[in-house]
Amino acid sequence: MALKGLDIFKLTPKSNCKECGVPTCMAFSMKVAQGAIDISKCPHLSEDALAKLSEATAPLMKTLSIGAGEAEHKLGGETVLYRHEKKFVSRDLFAVTVNAQNFDEKWAETEKIDYERIGERMYVELLDLEYTGDVAAYAELAAKAKGTGRTLIIDTTDAEAARAALEVVAETKPLLNGANAENTEEFVALAKEFKVVLGVQGEDLDAIYDTIKAIEGKGYKDLVIDLGSASIKSAFENAVRVRRGALKGGDRSLGYPSIVNVAELAPGDLHMQQALASLFTVKYGSIVVLEQMTYAMALPLYGLRQNIYTDPQKPMTVEPGVYAINGADENAVCCTTVDFALTYFVVSGELERSGVPVNLIISDAGGYSVLTAWAAGKLSAGSISKFIADQGIDEKIKNHTLIIPGKVAVLKGELEQKLPDWKIVVAPNEATDLVKFLKDYAAA
Amino acid sequence: MPLKKTPQVFSASIDTVTIGTGEKAVTLGGANVMPLYAFDAPIENKPALGLELSDAGYNAELPKLADFYAGAETLADQAKRAAALDGVDFVTITLNAADPTGENRSIEDCVAECKSVCETIDLPVAIQGCGNIEKDEQLFDALAEALQGENVLLLSAREENYKSIAAAAGLAYGQKLGAESAVDINLAKQLNVLITQLGVQPTSMVMNLGSAASGYGFEYVASTMDRVKSAALAQNDAMLQMPVVTPVADDAWSVKESIASEEDFPEWGPVEERGVQMEISTAAACLASGSDAVILRHPDSVATISALIAGLM
Amino acid sequence: MGKFVVIGERIHCISPTIRKAMEEQDPEPILKRAKEQLDAGATYLDVNIGPAESNGEDLMKWAVQLLQQNFDNVPLSLDTANQKAIEAGISVYNRAKGKPIVNSADAGDRITNVDLAAANDAIVIALCSKAGVPADNDERMVYCQELLERGMEQGMDPEDMWFDPLFLVVKGMQDKQKDILEFIGQLRDMGFNSTGGLSNCSNGMPKEIRPIMDSAMVAMAMQMGLTSAIVNPNDQRLMETIKSCDVIKNETLYADSYLQI
Repeated sequence: MALKGLDIFKLTPKSNCKECGVPTCMAFSMKVAQGAIDISKCPHLSEDALAKLSEATAPLMKTLSIGAGEAEHKLGGETVLYRHEKKFVSRDLFAVTVNAQNFDEKWAETEKIDYERIGERMYVELLDLEYTGDVAAYAELAAKAKGTGRTLIIDTTDAEAARAALEVVAETKPLLNGANAENTEEFVALAKEFKVVLGVQGEDLDAIYDTIKAIEGKGYKDLVIDLGSASIKSAFENAVRVRRGALKGGDRSLGYPSIVNVAELAPGDLHMQQALASLFTVKYGSIVVLEQMTYAMALPLYGLRQNIYTDPQKPMTVEPGVYAINGADENAVCCTTVDFALTYFVVSGELERSGVPVNLIISDAGGYSVLTAWAAGKLSAGSISKFIADQGIDEKIKNHTLIIPGKVAVLKGELEQKLPDWKIVVAPNEATDLVKFLKDYAAA
Repeated sequence: MPLKKTPQVFSASIDTVTIGTGEKAVTLGGANVMPLYAFDAPIENKPALGLELSDAGYNAELPKLADFYAGAETLADQAKRAAALDGVDFVTITLNAADPTGENRSIEDCVAECKSVCETIDLPVAIQGCGNIEKDEQLFDALAEALQGENVLLLSAREENYKSIAAAAGLAYGQKLGAESAVDINLAKQLNVLITQLGVQPTSMVMNLGSAASGYGFEYVASTMDRVKSAALAQNDAMLQMPVVTPVADDAWSVKESIASEEDFPEWGPVEERGVQMEISTAAACLASGSDAVILRHPDSVATISALIAGLM
Repeated sequence: MGKFVVIGERIHCISPTIRKAMEEQDPEPILKRAKEQLDAGATYLDVNIGPAESNGEDLMKWAVQLLQQNFDNVPLSLDTANQKAIEAGISVYNRAKGKPIVNSADAGDRITNVDLAAANDAIVIALCSKAGVPADNDERMVYCQELLERGMEQGMDPEDMWFDPLFLVVKGMQDKQKDILEFIGQLRDMGFNSTGGLSNCSNGMPKEIRPIMDSAMVAMAMQMGLTSAIVNPNDQRLMETIKSCDVIKNETLYADSYLQI
């Protein structure tokens, strides 16, 4: 965080001794803030003041990693409260709870959720290991869970159970959740011994904060804050106060990633868990623990996460290629638009709705919308015809009818010249008119 | 040592807009904190829920939805069901059948149908057009006049047709109107400026900033709302302080995940559950971003989202 | 930093109309000027009652109440050499729309106006000068520090100290202009608010030139971080420039009608 001159000025002796070569302490502070002069040029700054300054320039929120090898995930490191200011950096992770009794059955269901969406693998990244009171069974659960290759959360406040699990899975870098006011001593020792990130719990944020301070006092700072499951309201309040306190308030004892167990907030209610998972994806959850993940939940949830964590400066794009819609084969008509993900989804959605089989041709248009891509020369008769030639679409698809976006109707003439054996058809301006257009077209 | 509370309370606030009449009237907006931050300062008017009905009928292929409306033949009968559902604050009629490229129902028929709904239920009513600029303009002009005294919310006036809708709804016949912009923050502000310049009071209008289902460009919705709320509250921008009403249903129920058949995607499971989860996810994300009211289609979504709102207040 | 704060300067005893209205406590001319300035986009109104040695307290109270009652508690800048008059004005001042501004303190005799602002939880305009025009920016910075320390000693929030770099007339002091802009940048780097009598830069220029010079100065000063100015809001070119700069600096959201709101 950039320091203002005033913050530095408050630490100077304000004596205007000029030993730094600058006429006033204020001018000196201003130059330090700009980076024009080094703070050490002032011979009168106390150790304490220097320490405060170096602390003030450290990142406001820690970046941590859990999991090992391919299952390693980054948490935290956020710098802003709103994504339009700057990109959110570490997408939230989803976990499903398992215990010694239900592991096999739940893992079988969880494993099924595994697909790709716009270049990103969508799956349940973490398994949350619930402790059900039997240490030996817990160690066994940990061993089984380790076999899945997923990153693990050791979810217990019982030091003995935690140790038993850690001894089996420590090298996979699980998250140990968690420490509380009663077990601080033992859990910090465990976290240090096994070098794992430690989750901090408490009955309310005050209690959590006290425990964080106590743990920091013991020199351990690889922490995750458990937002608690007292109520929906308190978990949300904690999520906001923790993130805001760190990024706006500059309180580094709040500058840690968060974990929220929505399975405990709404046990047995997958609809409410979905609502909460969506809420905490938008606002400040780092790990969201669910009872279960179904396709009905995953499809919206992972899509939402992908949206929220896109770089506001860089549009989301889809892979160029030919997408067969409504079971299109080589005899189906072709349609083209840009690779900007939003345009692609809107257009493909309308095409699907029409029920007409269509081959949707997506060429690399730089992630712009149709008109912008056209204006930037990224969507032209040249680019489209070249893509059709490069991909061998001429041979692959027999139906040489190409429907182009209405907004670039101007390309029709040029395309007819470049693709002489193709019939070029102009679609309506708006995607919402596509359904009727295609139905009419198919009927004709 | 307790953690110091530093509530973020603004001196500016969101305008309040009331729709409907009598005991069941609903007031939207009024907050002086960021969306859902009831812990910073009490939020007097909780976000509201509207249940959406279409004059083109409900999707009877969804078993739970069909069950909910079973036996309710007319729109007014369906409205009665909707109004009786726990968590529903207002009922929304979408006039899909008016679309000239579809059934092209007459203005008179649409007005008569909306009138019968208003006469049947005592909950506030919001009416969405069919999306066709010219037809909606005629529809809203006629509805504003015919439903005088009902204080309905007409959704929405757009850049191309705001003048006559604003004149009829906001000035002549005392209704409320929505100003619609498709996830374009500058246009949102401009449209509010233009409508208020016609003499419509800010307390007679809401904003429909546009929406998108989860996964379908929701980042634009989230950032548009983040920026609108921060301009309204932190910069005290009076031209962005109108409450935000987001019709979630249409987007949530028209994406592939909510439509594709189970035969085509067996591992995805039943269509209805997918649509409900899509609607819930989108609505929760909209509320987190700043919607002062959301419009939903499925009774299950209403149950969950109203419980979510209650839990957060 | 937030939107640029325009302090309307037209209620000033130098104007014969206003002087006469103040002498006779005649509301009309004052309300008329206030309305013109507010309609044009002023946030604060400066109320300059002159030295007002004999009747300052009553006059300031009258003016504050007159303006706030007629214009929804419009925030005011109280401008007079008579400290008692400022205190009297604050005693009847409604803070609903913003703290009162004490106009002004300097690092010389008038440094006690910092104390006055601190004691009354007001904003103070702090001129970075002592007697006459500071020679260079080092001297400005010394005064700035003196004023800041004075305020902080008395528990003032530094945000409530609006430092005035002292705008100088271009015609005659052309070589000093870059210094002033530079100094505004230094104030910004310290995180301070700033203000000043900006149109002083065009003093002595032909009437048709002044809006052009003032507009150029405000744009350059805003880029350096100036957060406020005491100006004539009825100078349309100037106000259009300020509104445009606010848009470019992302302090207010653009809409096609931004000049009209």
